[in-house]
Formats: sequence, C-alpha cells, structure tokens
Amino acid sequence: MRGIDIRFMCAAALVGIIALAAGARPAAADETCNSPYMGNLIKGQEDYLYVWALGIKGMGDGSDKLVTIDVNPSSSRYGKVINKVSVRGQGEAHHMGFTDDRRFLWAGGLDSSRITIFDIGADPSRPKLVRTISDMPAKTGYVGPHTFYAMPGRMIVQGLSNTKDGGGVTGMAIYSNKGELVSTHAMPTTDGGDGYGYDVAINPQKNVMLTSSFTGRKNYMRPLGELVKDAEAMKKFGNTMVVWDLKAMKAKKVLNVPGAPLEIRWSLKDGDTWAITASALTSKLWLIKPDASGEWQAKDVAVIGDPTQIPLPVDISINKDGTGLWVNTFMDGKTRYFDLSNPEQPKQTYEKVTGKQVNMISQSWDGTRVYIASSLLANWDKGGADNEQFVRGFSWDGKELKPTFEVDFNKEKLGRAHHMKLGSKAMKAAYGLERTATLR
Amino acid sequence: MASSAPRRCAEPLIGSIAALLATAALVVAVAGSAVDAHEPDDGVPGAAPMDFVPPPPGSYALPTIMRAPDGPVLDPAGRRRPLSRFTAGKITLLGFIYTSCADARGCPLAYQVFHTVRHRVSEDPDLREHVRLVSLSFDPARDTAAVMRRYAAGAPANGVEWAFLTTEGPRTLVPLLDGFGQDVRVELDTHGRPAGPLAHVLKVFLLDKSAAVREIYTTAYLYPEVIMNDIKTLRLADRPQRKAAR
Repeated sequence: MRGIDIRFMCAAALVGIIALAAGARPAAADETCNSPYMGNLIKGQEDYLYVWALGIKGMGDGSDKLVTIDVNPSSSRYGKVINKVSVRGQGEAHHMGFTDDRRFLWAGGLDSSRITIFDIGADPSRPKLVRTISDMPAKTGYVGPHTFYAMPGRMIVQGLSNTKDGGGVTGMAIYSNKGELVSTHAMPTTDGGDGYGYDVAINPQKNVMLTSSFTGRKNYMRPLGELVKDAEAMKKFGNTMVVWDLKAMKAKKVLNVPGAPLEIRWSLKDGDTWAITASALTSKLWLIKPDASGEWQAKDVAVIGDPTQIPLPVDISINKDGTGLWVNTFMDGKTRYFDLSNPEQPKQTYEKVTGKQVNMISQSWDGTRVYIASSLLANWDKGGADNEQFVRGFSWDGKELKPTFEVDFNKEKLGRAHHMKLGSKAMKAAYGLERTATLR
Repeated sequence: MASSAPRRCAEPLIGSIAALLATAALVVAVAGSAVDAHEPDDGVPGAAPMDFVPPPPGSYALPTIMRAPDGPVLDPAGRRRPLSRFTAGKITLLGFIYTSCADARGCPLAYQVFHTVRHRVSEDPDLREHVRLVSLSFDPARDTAAVMRRYAAGAPANGVEWAFLTTEGPRTLVPLLDGFGQDVRVELDTHGRPAGPLAHVLKVFLLDKSAAVREIYTTAYLYPEVIMNDIKTLRLADRPQRKAAR
C-alpha cells in the first residue's frame, strides 16, 4: 500500500471506529428474501405485516386490498387489522415488492395486469395508494406482473404471460421508481430457453441475475381441477431457469429445471455463491451454483414430501445465514423445515400442518417469527371448508412452530390472503411537512 | 424497537462524536489533498468484493431512467446557482453526502470511489474534459457553503471538475431529493420520537451530458470499474453526434 494511501486509510479507519461507537451497523443483505439493493433492513422487531389480498365478489367491498396487521407483541393492537386500502375491483392480487429505499410498495394483479403503488414511508401504519400503472400490457406486450424486485432507483417487474396468446412466453419490464417504463427484456426462447418467467433474484457481487419460470395467463386463470385434467395445458409450464449478465441484461445460460421452478433465494451468508429454488410440479429442491470451472449449473438436491402426490411446493423462505429453508406445500397444508448446512444435501428436520391450504411464508430477520398466508390463486384455492383464508403468526425456537396470532380473512371479509411484507415505524421519511410526494 | 440498517450518516447524536467526526473529515480532506496524484484504491472501506469482469464499454445499453431535477444550490463560494449548471454539458457522477458521515459503507465509501474514478478519468484524455463529479449535501443545517469549501480542499484541481454543493435549507433541498429519489429518514426511539442519526440509502447517479440519469449505484454495486465502463459507454454514444456536428 502506498504511504499516502495509508494516511487516507487512517482517516477512514478513524471514521469507522467512530461509526462503531455511534452504533452504526452496516448490513450485507436484506431480511431473507428481498433485493440486495434494499438498504433498510428490519433486523429487530417488525411492527407491521402488509398483506396483499384478493377480493372476493360479495365479500365486504369485494375489491383487492392492502391489509395492514399490527405484529408487534408489545402493541395493544397486536394481531389486529389496523388499516386496509382497497383498489378498484378484483384483479388477482398476487405479489409485492419494496422500492430500494423501502419508501414505496409495488403490488401487482395477475389478471388485471395493473400495478398499484403504495406510499409506506409517510406513515408506515397507514399505506396510501399514490399511483396505478395500467398500461403495462399495451407498452410492453407482457401481462401478469408477478415479481417486483428492486434495483437502484428502479423496479424490475417480471411478467408471467403475454398479450398475443396468453401463453407463458413473456419478459421483464424495468420501471423507474417514479413509475416510468425504462426498458423491456424478453425471456430467452433460443439455446434451450422456453421464454417463460416467474421470479427474479440478483447476486450483485457476481453480476448475476437468476430467473425462473411458471405458466401463462390461460393456465393460471383456469380452475385448477380442470387444468390438471388437460394434458396439453399441463405441458405448458416452465422447465427452465436463466442465468443473466445483470449489467448487460443479457441471457448467458439456460438451465434445465423441470416442473415450474418458482421462488429463488440466494444464500445471504458472506462468501456463499449459491441459490436455491423449489419446482412446484416435480416437488424438488434445486441448487444453483458455479461448478469447479465457474460454469453455472442446476441440480436437484432433495425431494419435498412425496412427489407422486404432488404436494405442490409454492413458497420458500431462507434464513439469514443460509442454513435453513422453510417450504410451504399447498395441497397438504404443511410447513416444512430443511436443514441447509450442506446445501448439496438438504435434510428435512421438521414439518407441521399449518392450514388446510397454505401458500406464502415469510420470516423475521432473526428467524424467530414466521408468518403464513393461505391463498395461492383465486381459481386454484380449495373449496368448501378447506377454503380457509388467513394470516397466521408463529414463533420458532428451532424445534417447534407455535401459533401466536391469527387473522381470519373470511370472517373479517378481507378476501384471500396472499403475499406478505414486513413494515416498521422506523421507515419514515425525513423533513416532515417539507417533504413533497415523489409520486403524484 | 424496530431497527433498520440503512447507510447511516452520523447526525451528531453524541456531541463529542460529532466533534471527532469533524476532525476525521478534516483529516480525510488533508490526506486527500496530498494523495491526489495517486489512486486511492486499496482497501475501500466497507466495499463488497467484486467477483466478476464487467462487460466492456459499448457492449450494453444504459437506458434513460429519468431526468435529473433542477433547482437552486449553493456553490462553495455561497453563490446561488441552478443545479443544472452542474449536471448538464458533461457526463456527471453525482452523489448526496454529509460531511460528518460515519458509516464506512456510506459517504466515506462514496468519497473514496469518487476519488478513484476522478483519478482514472484524469488519466484518460478522451474523458478528462467531458466528465465532472458533484457532491451535494443533504444536511444544509450543518454543511454550509463554508463547510463544503473546507471539505472540497480534499480534492485539489487535477483537470477534472468536482463540485461540492449545498442548499439554503430543506425547502430547496427536498425537491432535489425527491427528484432524484434519494431517501432520508429519521431514526425513532421506542416512543416513536426522532432520535439518533438520519439514515439514507447510499445512491450515486450517473448522468449523461443532457442531464438524463442513465445509471444509479448503491453500496452493493458501487465499483469504480463498472462506473468507468459506464462513463465510457456514454462517451462512445456521444461520438456519432460529435461527428455529425462537425
């Protein structure tokens, strides 16, 4: 090191020491499942759970809505719904994602293809609808905005389908945080690519983005019982993942991952360079990592339940150090825990029936609190008494999931509970009344 | 209490620490005044390791993300100027800072990356006249024009413009923050009252010479190699226009 640089580094070290003295703790990643570009992690007790719920005709106002639940045990309103914001009609509310600064929450409708943006920075306990993007199909040719993944100053929106035939060939649209379309990127249809899309996950240090694949609108809007009897339709599910050069936004390699690989989670442990996913139709866990020569590969490393019974793994949640993975299987209503100490050989160590149907699962940064929601898709949810609609909170001590609270979405006429995101009082914009709205 | 881990730049929560920070900033400035002939590359504080070879300049697109906002700022001499004076006409690397910033992965990281980029630009005759850097304070109460002038002493002239700017106060600062999408938040205590440092996500903006934002970097992606390739990509895009203009 040059002598002159040493002087600079001495100053930097002093600054670092002072930072530690002031209690500033830099973070390496987000709370378990969000974009690494998000800086505002909730590492302590979360205050709110935002739930994106599908409206049910004849129930309450019948509209899709963002429901806010107080989840701080020290609050007098713990486990209660404290706010709800309805949007126009039923658009198959599905997934959500924070902007990089966590000030705004974007939420998508798979049927309407509308993107609804909520301001959660002004008052995290009372999200406010500030903008709706309704022209994604017209401007991009893609429909079914699914994954919302923060990039610096912008949002990647992964489509599920297209305007031409409602099939699974689709692409990604990138919007500025203000909601303006920046660029579009088709999923690859050559070199083994099937053109399908589902989830997005980025490893900035590797300049790698991974995408997965599901199915098109004609399938996901069709009643599940009818769909599974249609052999031709069942062939139209994604069987690939794609490794992208993130900076160039160019597909580098298509990986063969049969059976609709869904959520993708990178290990958040420093030094790890692997990701994991679950294939819904083949009920397997897949490990994605570079081989000895640096070539990205995917291999199945575990089965989830009995694949012949199609338990339908629908969501996963990795813990902060990449040593454990929750897996929810929709059909049998089970929540399973896999030990990932050796990601090449995950071992299931726990399971519990947490509902008659279960879909999304989220955990706090420290892993001691787990949240589960019930709904998969309006036309895929079960019927009759099996059609429970809820958000359930659990504590996790490493041995047992213990119920802590429940919100019955049927009883409270809120609709079908789908995606969940955590919120905190600490996420509040500065400069009070002098701050203007970014989104008008 | 819910805790978050953004880039926290030390609002003087503790008076003595604030004094130390000011001292540290000056030490950085003094050291910087002596180091400018060298590239401050070693041991960037808190930078995540870069484990890839970035695509070469011109092999990828940098679509326009948004227009840079405009509004009044104060230059180090305390003169009121439009920000556009510092964002148009050259490829511009702009970041918001506090001079009292303490998080090694926050402002000090950006400061050192700016130094590195500026040094590399200064060595490239095709870039030297066409690139500027801008550091704009989002703490106008403490970062007066005089403070920014002292801070600027850490970046002596090397042929590459580096403007250190502030604003008259929140009323002129906030529209710029909102225009760039730069968040600032207040940490709250267990009673929901403001306490502790201001917090923000570190963002650095790359603008083309027409003041359109073409790339945004946060801590997870703030690599001098990537920034230099992006600058060269914008410069390559300028070339047909330069030829046509002749």
